[in-house]
Amino acid sequence: MEVLREKVEEEEAAEQEEAAERAERARTEKMMRPVEVRKEETTLTQETLRDLEKKLSEIRIPVSAELPAFTKDIIDISMLPVSYKTNMPKEEQLLQLADNFSRQYSHLCPDRVPLFLHPLNECEVPKFVSTTLRPTLMPYPELYNWDSCAQFVSDFLTMVPLPDPLKPTIKREEKVLPKKYTIRPPRDLCSRFEQEQEMKRQQEIRAQEEKRLKEEEERRMEAEKANPDALHGLRVHSWVLVLSGKREVPENFFIDPFTARSYSTQDEHFLGIESLWNHRNYWINMQDCWNCCKDLIFDLGDPVRWEYMLLGTDKPVLSLTEDYSGINDEDDVENLDKEDEDKSFDMPHSWVEQIEISPEAFKTRCPNGKKVIPYKRAKLEKWAPYLNRNGLVSRLTTYEDLECTNILEIKEWYQSREDMLELKHINKTTGLKTDYFKPGHPHALRVHSYKSMQPEMDRVIEFYETARVDGLIKREETPGTMTEYYQGRSDFLSYRHADFGPRVKKLTLSSTESNPRPIVKITERFLRNPAKPAEEDVAERVFLVAEERIQLRYHCREDHITASKREFLRRSEVDSKGNKIIMTPDMCITFEVEPMEHTKKLLYQYETLMHLKKEEKLSRHQVWESELEVLEILKLREEEEEVHTLTISIYDTKRNEKSKEYREAMERVMHEEHLRQVETQLDYLAPFLVQLPPGEKLTRWQAVRLKDECLSDFKQRLINKANLIQARFEKETQELQKKQQWYQENQVTLTPEDEDQYLSYCSQAMFRIRILEQRLNRHKELAPLKYLALEEKLHKDPRLGELLKMFT
Amino acid sequence: MNRLYDSMEPRVIDDGMLKLAVGEQGPQEEAGELAKQEGILFKDVLSLQLDFRNILRIDNLWQFENLRKLQLDNNIIEKIEGLENLTHLVWLDLSFNNIETIEGLDTLVNLEDLSLFNNRISSIDSLDALVKLQVLSLGNNQIDNMMNIIYLRRFSCLRTLSLSGNPISEAEDYKMFICAYLPDLVYLDFRRIDDHTKEVAEAKHHYSIEELKHRENLMQARLEEEQARREELEKHKTAFVEHLNGSFLFDSMYAEDSEGNKLSSLPGVSEFLEAYRDKFVIICVNIFEYGLKQQEKRKTELDTFNECVHEAIQENQEQGKRKIAKFEEKHLMSLSAIREELEMPNIEKMILECSTDISELFDALMTLEMQLVEQLEETINMFERNIVDLVGLFVENVQSLMAQCRDLENHHHEKVLEISISTLEKAIKGDLDEDLSEDVRALFVDKDTTVNAVGASHDIHLLKIDNREDELVTRINSWCTRLVDKIHRDEIMRNRKRVKEINLYIDHMKSELDNLEYSDILD
Repeated sequence: MEVLREKVEEEEAAEQEEAAERAERARTEKMMRPVEVRKEETTLTQETLRDLEKKLSEIRIPVSAELPAFTKDIIDISMLPVSYKTNMPKEEQLLQLADNFSRQYSHLCPDRVPLFLHPLNECEVPKFVSTTLRPTLMPYPELYNWDSCAQFVSDFLTMVPLPDPLKPTIKREEKVLPKKYTIRPPRDLCSRFEQEQEMKRQQEIRAQEEKRLKEEEERRMEAEKANPDALHGLRVHSWVLVLSGKREVPENFFIDPFTARSYSTQDEHFLGIESLWNHRNYWINMQDCWNCCKDLIFDLGDPVRWEYMLLGTDKPVLSLTEDYSGINDEDDVENLDKEDEDKSFDMPHSWVEQIEISPEAFKTRCPNGKKVIPYKRAKLEKWAPYLNRNGLVSRLTTYEDLECTNILEIKEWYQSREDMLELKHINKTTGLKTDYFKPGHPHALRVHSYKSMQPEMDRVIEFYETARVDGLIKREETPGTMTEYYQGRSDFLSYRHADFGPRVKKLTLSSTESNPRPIVKITERFLRNPAKPAEEDVAERVFLVAEERIQLRYHCREDHITASKREFLRRSEVDSKGNKIIMTPDMCITFEVEPMEHTKKLLYQYETLMHLKKEEKLSRHQVWESELEVLEILKLREEEEEVHTLTISIYDTKRNEKSKEYREAMERVMHEEHLRQVETQLDYLAPFLVQLPPGEKLTRWQAVRLKDECLSDFKQRLINKANLIQARFEKETQELQKKQQWYQENQVTLTPEDEDQYLSYCSQAMFRIRILEQRLNRHKELAPLKYLALEEKLHKDPRLGELLKMFT
Repeated sequence: MNRLYDSMEPRVIDDGMLKLAVGEQGPQEEAGELAKQEGILFKDVLSLQLDFRNILRIDNLWQFENLRKLQLDNNIIEKIEGLENLTHLVWLDLSFNNIETIEGLDTLVNLEDLSLFNNRISSIDSLDALVKLQVLSLGNNQIDNMMNIIYLRRFSCLRTLSLSGNPISEAEDYKMFICAYLPDLVYLDFRRIDDHTKEVAEAKHHYSIEELKHRENLMQARLEEEQARREELEKHKTAFVEHLNGSFLFDSMYAEDSEGNKLSSLPGVSEFLEAYRDKFVIICVNIFEYGLKQQEKRKTELDTFNECVHEAIQENQEQGKRKIAKFEEKHLMSLSAIREELEMPNIEKMILECSTDISELFDALMTLEMQLVEQLEETINMFERNIVDLVGLFVENVQSLMAQCRDLENHHHEKVLEISISTLEKAIKGDLDEDLSEDVRALFVDKDTTVNAVGASHDIHLLKIDNREDELVTRINSWCTRLVDKIHRDEIMRNRKRVKEINLYIDHMKSELDNLEYSDILD
């Protein structure tokens, strides 16, 4: 109940604020009482502003009778103010007026639907629609502009189908309804175009396409048949009309309250307008709607086109913009009352209470912080931030079929997650999951797409390369390979690809030891290093680990089309004499674009080979480290998924526990401080003043006596305190002595535990004695000072001061 | 010093010593064996150590073209010589020798570290070429003049200096002076200079340094100005109109013209001369400006041409690269397929396929190249026509402007002749102005003399103008011819290089395939 109220009010607030801000816009609620408009819909209509004009195409008298069925279980009526439950005399008058108006209308236009003038509110009291609107200014900047405001309102509305969509069976004029209705045929068009293309190319493909299309058509027809819209044009809906003229609104437009989308008044989805209202007046559309709303003229001052209900509120004026600006200028929220006095002789003040939206409620947006919007073949769920423990804020599910049973893909958006996860995309058909991260993940993750969290499977991880020391951008894995892409490295490495062989089973398998897969081949590519000549700058090197071969390809010189190549065969063989062959010409096959002398040398080749061997080792190590890193990332991801901690801004005082604690601690300190101050302000004279007759002025003698008494009392207290400390001190000392004596006597027979006990007692006692001694000394030092201080205070006391001064 | 070697015979660096040293200092172990097997070329050596060898004279080092580091310390060298070829030298150690003057280092522009410790040097100079010098060790020498330090100011990279053991290091102000005058120095005599010392030194020598800096700045400014002027002139020269933006040509006409100068002192001539000069200069400036404009045009033309050609070549190269990349991809696969194949007939078939592929690639690449050659030829011819036209137009216009100059000269000549004749008449009559100098009077003895004098002046003037014109025309024409020739030559070179490259590549591919064949057969 409360919830609903709130909803309604917030909507109003939103709308009102909007109107207040952009007074120049006239807001119109059009009511084509929709079949699917449930009670909230009615409330929605209330939300329009004083600038809004409403048109009711159909009055829903029967609807009001049905409404309570809905309202009752939602709203707690007892808590509502009186204005909700009764009608003021003026309101009664207005209702009568409305009835009269309605009667005239139905007499004059018998084929039009009855007007929607005074539906029952949540307390089953008829209220005139215009009085349900109350312009209010809200403190949220989001509500200042129509788009975000409308978004807010739409978040708060939930679509609930009426039990019988045709309950308000008031037939709408058939002519108004344009014939054309089909599920949009663009796909059809598109494919026909494709067909043409195909036809030009291949007959066969075209035939296939046609067949496929036919099938699709059939399927669609079936779907259509299953869901025929018999009610087209019969539904009544209400929406918001914003009139141009003020606050830089260039032209009139509609806002659909459910979707928060704006539509041109030309939009063909809007079939017609029955009536408009705002918080000040009510207009009936007298124009023909045969061409939807396209030809309507929204000049509400024109009595031929728009039949107004109340004369006094708005003078009918033809030049809408000017006049409206005039009216609306006075119309700012603060001036509402004045305005009412000024001209709305008839329209009573709104009976609804001013809306209050708490910041929490504002942030929560939807009722209970959750909202589900069904779409055709899709479903969008929204949650308020921090509502879900894992930070989920919205989820879009797309379905294959109209019944929404076969899920195609799911997109989940997250917020404020500590692991910076932003979006999770699950493709149900391929099973591919893709996680998108915002900058800031400990491993600099950007995108992670995978099918399984098991290592050594298909997986692509992208990184924020600037956050990584090694400049890694992307790492792709398949069961047998790993490919890495780099950027901005000082060694110009841009690509590394490793092929793995099948894992060799170790005989001595100690379970703790990792058993990495053998690397068969590593391919590395380098960008051009401008500091080196092209023929010495390696573009690609391939380590064929298994074959013990190394292939080098160099960069291509600017004016060449071929690049140098070199291939090393690393066979450590032994020649016929059993000497080890260090290097032979056939171990290095070289192709040089411009043959050079020094590279022919075996020495050069040998040195290059040695260098490459070292590099190979390093590269293998790198690959191995990369594998480890993947394992680590996977582990971390799993942990993060389980824990899903949310970050809380330090400015979020409500959610941030730390700052809350701190604040509370501060408050506590303040409170204590306050208490202490109160304490110090204790009246030291009070006990003595009580002894004197009350209400009499003190004599000098009395004052002196009072002072002396007070001082001597204080002195006594000081002495007492000193004695007390002294006594305790002596007691402790004696006890200690006794204990020591006891120890001396029994020393021989004592168990070690007893001895320990004794020793610890001794040290504690000594400590106590020392403290007492210190306190005593301190007291002795401070006592005279305290005494003097009190004397001084008494001298300055306003009650005694004068008398004492005279005395001295 | 060098007591150890005193008993030894002084030596000169010879081939044997070098070979020995290179062998000893070359690669070790496995690599060393290879090196021994192959022998090491001197030009491949990067570092050489020739210390404690009692060397008296540096020689035979010219082959070490790529040497980076050379140690010649602890010898008895008296003169720095024979290092001219070692231009890549970065590190040179000549400490503990008997060198008296710094010399012979003018080609070592890459030198960063120079040690002349413990020699007999008395002044720091001849190091101008060593712009990259970072470390200079001159300790234990005989440098006694503090002004040597100021010489070191030009080495902007110098960070380490040692001068201890020189007479100047005895001076009281030694350290402060150096710190003040070499503010970028970090180490002096193997010690770091702390900031405090630097500040104190700077404060102490503030004024003299300021003055020095001022002088240096002035010098720098003058140099820059000179440079700018030279560049300007160079620019004018490329436009072939240098010295035409003023009265230079006019002045040169009168520079060698004694008669003309004499005649100009005649009454009335100087006015004409002034007007003539003004008009002449205006025409010169016209030529000059026109020349610059034309130069700009030619440059644009050439740039556009170069750009287009470059683009075309690039595009062609890209195509070639793509073709090769595609081929290589396929080729690699076929090769590994061949290696795995066991059936002999199959292998042969595949090898045949491969060689067909190679020839196909060759054809494709050659076609590409020929296509490019044709395209470029056309473009080059077009460019040639255009540039020749441009030059022709320029020459024509300059010639017409020069003709105007000649007209002016002729006109002036007539005037001068007229005045001269009247002066002659006066002279004959005897009422010549008193204030005419004696050698001017000498021109007016008879008509022939007078006319000859005036004629000679005129001839000189015309000659100058003709010369200038000829120079311009000749130079621009030869420039044009050279340019066109060069473009043709470059294109031919390019084509040859490309064809060679393609052939080399194809040959390599073929031989690779052949090798595979053999090895397969052997297997």
